[in-house]
Amino acid sequence: MSGLRGDAATDFGALRKRYPSVFAPQIVQRWPILAVGLLMALLFVYGLWRLEFSFMRMWTGLAQLGRFATLMLPPIAQSWPQALTFARALAETVSIALLGTLMAALLAFPMGFLAARNATINRVVQFMSRRFLDTIRGVDTLIWALIWVNVVGLGPFAGVLAIMTADAGAFGKLFSETIEAADRKPVDGVVASGGSRLQAIRFGLLPQVLPVMLGQVLYFFESNTRSATIIGIVGAGGIGLHLSEQIRTLEWQGVSLIVLMILAAVALIDVVSGQLRFAIIGERSRNA
Amino acid sequence: MLVIESLSRRFGEKKAVNDVSLSVAPGGFVGVIGRSGAGKSTLLRMINRLQEPSGGRILYEGRDITALRGQALRDWRADCAMIFQQFNLVGRLDVLTNVLMGRLNKTSAAQSLLRLWSPEDRAMALSALEQFDIGNLAAQRAESLSGGQQQRVAICRALVQEPKLILADEPIASLDPRNTKIVMDALRRINRHFGITVLCNLHSLDLARSYCDRLVGMAAGRVVFDDVPEKLTEHVARELYGLEAGEVMESGDHAVSAGLKPAPVAA
Repeated sequence: MSGLRGDAATDFGALRKRYPSVFAPQIVQRWPILAVGLLMALLFVYGLWRLEFSFMRMWTGLAQLGRFATLMLPPIAQSWPQALTFARALAETVSIALLGTLMAALLAFPMGFLAARNATINRVVQFMSRRFLDTIRGVDTLIWALIWVNVVGLGPFAGVLAIMTADAGAFGKLFSETIEAADRKPVDGVVASGGSRLQAIRFGLLPQVLPVMLGQVLYFFESNTRSATIIGIVGAGGIGLHLSEQIRTLEWQGVSLIVLMILAAVALIDVVSGQLRFAIIGERSRNA
Repeated sequence: MLVIESLSRRFGEKKAVNDVSLSVAPGGFVGVIGRSGAGKSTLLRMINRLQEPSGGRILYEGRDITALRGQALRDWRADCAMIFQQFNLVGRLDVLTNVLMGRLNKTSAAQSLLRLWSPEDRAMALSALEQFDIGNLAAQRAESLSGGQQQRVAICRALVQEPKLILADEPIASLDPRNTKIVMDALRRINRHFGITVLCNLHSLDLARSYCDRLVGMAAGRVVFDDVPEKLTEHVARELYGLEAGEVMESGDHAVSAGLKPAPVAA
């Protein structure tokens, strides 16, 4: 034996003595990870038992699901005017999602900087904006929809407000985390050449975080198109209302048509936002 | 014996490496010199197959390296360890794990993903770290180390691969003069003590002259000089570096005055 392997072999005993922790059995080295893993597994099993999770019931339910599926075929509307109504309502849902997401992003943009450790004004402001974001995030979109419907009345306006309030909280958190994960070095560069704090944020941080934020906004737009159908059910406009009506009147073919239309809209948004995101990231790498 | 036969690499219109033929005998310390953009990095990266050649062949002990795929290619990469200018360590992992990554090719997927390294592998990693005086840093995160220490960790990673060949791509370009000497001495030690062939890209002529026993000069993708360092006259240097020649040699002089010139080795 020669080379490093030989060196290691002749020195094996001494190395073992000098670095006992490296050669300790795996169970000793990793007991914290193993303990946490075991605890999680126990919690998981306890949860399944406590919530009466039953494979039997899932299996019997599956047959029921199959019966519904056959009732849903073929997915057609009862009449052309109804199909047109669905299409209009879907357009309304998409615009609720777009408007709500954009307004949420605009609101969250300054909040994100205030809540980020490396861009905030001082610790108090950071703490307050964090707690504020937590609070509005603690209430789900659906609850906000119910609240806004009571405040501004039924219709899409309440839907837009619901998405805006709920997602401003989510965006605020995501934005601030993105800002905190940004590289410090460009900021140092701006500060070192005599830039103010605001200028350091504008030129050191913003170019780094903007493409990531745009990606997050695009994803939320897509996700909100789905959420907007649910808030429609509580009367905040859009296709959700028609969906719940079709379910209530057991018009399963209409239900499947609406579901397919939503699916198509979401897929389309996904394709477009993918292209947009790529364009933005491509732009960034070209400038770098 | 590493044999390179009319190797070329094109990037769009530009020929980064143009019809290069070389043969490298085992055990040598070969310096590849030339100005930035001369094709040194591309040449080294093609030997490791990090970059695919546009034409030509690389042979090692008669085996065609350019045709390797899958496991055979990964085995070859383990055989010719690469050392990078920016160290290419995983900053968030500890030093020992970074070094043990050199054993990945010889470790089964399940074992490596669970980080169940064999005691022999651990001993090899620690032995390598101790040989470069950084055994005490084994448990630290790689990103907390200085540049010179990080490069030594990268050399240890290369070493535990038990390579036949080490390819060092500007290993000292981001280091200060003291660390430059430490890292170059480490490479020399590997070459002498373990008999591993070293192919090293260098910008500084003076360093290349004092550490290498053979110099390959590249300019615009072609080999324009290939001989012992003593034959590298000022005339050739000027041809290699053009207007930069004064600069690289001057920087060499600075290095000498800073006590960089290694003591004559009596190996």
